[in-house]
Amino acid sequence: MNETLNTIFNRRSFRKYSDRKIDKKTIDLLIKAGLSAPSNVNKMTWEFIIIDDKKILEKIATVTLYGKMTKDAPIAIVVCGNLDRALPGEGADFWVQDCSAATENILLAAHSLGLGAVWTGVYPTVDRIRNVSKAIGNVPLNIIPLALIPIGYPIDEEILSEKQLPTDRVHYNGF
Amino acid sequence: MNEAYNNIITRRSIRNFTGEIVSKEIIDLILEAGLAAPSAVNKQPWEILVVEDREILDTIANLEGFYTKMTKKASAAIVVCGNTEKTLPGLAQIYWVQDTSAMTENILLASHALGIGAVWTGVYPSVDRVKKVSELLDLPSHIIPLNIIPIGVISNENTFAKEIDKSCIHYGKWTK
Repeated sequence: MNETLNTIFNRRSFRKYSDRKIDKKTIDLLIKAGLSAPSNVNKMTWEFIIIDDKKILEKIATVTLYGKMTKDAPIAIVVCGNLDRALPGEGADFWVQDCSAATENILLAAHSLGLGAVWTGVYPTVDRIRNVSKAIGNVPLNIIPLALIPIGYPIDEEILSEKQLPTDRVHYNGF
Repeated sequence: MNEAYNNIITRRSIRNFTGEIVSKEIIDLILEAGLAAPSAVNKQPWEILVVEDREILDTIANLEGFYTKMTKKASAAIVVCGNTEKTLPGLAQIYWVQDTSAMTENILLASHALGIGAVWTGVYPSVDRVKKVSELLDLPSHIIPLNIIPIGVISNENTFAKEIDKSCIHYGKWTK
């Protein structure tokens, strides 16, 4: 099987991260993967906010229900739609699809680079959009956070626990 | 850089096909890649239709208001749909769009990895396009087509470099 398909098949959500930092070069690679997504009529309706400030990461963790692990991640990438770049009329909502494709690219790139990441949904939940925007501080109204992606190097414990087969269901020579 | 990463940054929309048939094994792998996408609360609210019938493919190619002309020479068209009966309830129902978009990106990346050409042509949220595709493929009202992905053997591959606009990367707080 080729390496790309393996990456697609083996990608999983990681919610526990080691203390290891992610270098700038690796972060740039993640963003380049996001930028390589296709977009409707090539509008590239996305914006990427990279958070590596521990205070902001902690603030995001406290205001999001499913984003608690953000406080332990060295970085988080917030993929946002820029409504000013969107198509007019009923095509306006294509930004959601563009940004979702970009998010999947970032998750796959992270996996291929040995990083652990998880897609936590923000849009279209109004509270989450407001809370994440507020935690970041100065996100204009035309910039809508779609996904919050905490990223870090996975800790061994999680790799083992997720990959472990449920051996308690296996019985030899009687129950 | 690793092969999986290179595959992401070299993927392109392919609109020129030779008309040759893509094997069932290859299509199965591409679809499996689609199914490996993440989905909100793991609802997997998707359905995939694979159209291989020449007559239907030709009809798709000629649909008015679509960008699907290349389907004329495609081997198949993959129609990625949301199933609103499998989604989360209430306002969160619309997460199916994000889930099926991630699935679509996986399908495009797997096609590229296998040397097969593919292009994402949008259907939802255009009311007119959703209606026309639903009628053509007899879709019930809870199955909503997100897109049509014509796939085929690549001809005259365009190797233009995609311009990457980095002005939309921001560190820390929002910066202009």
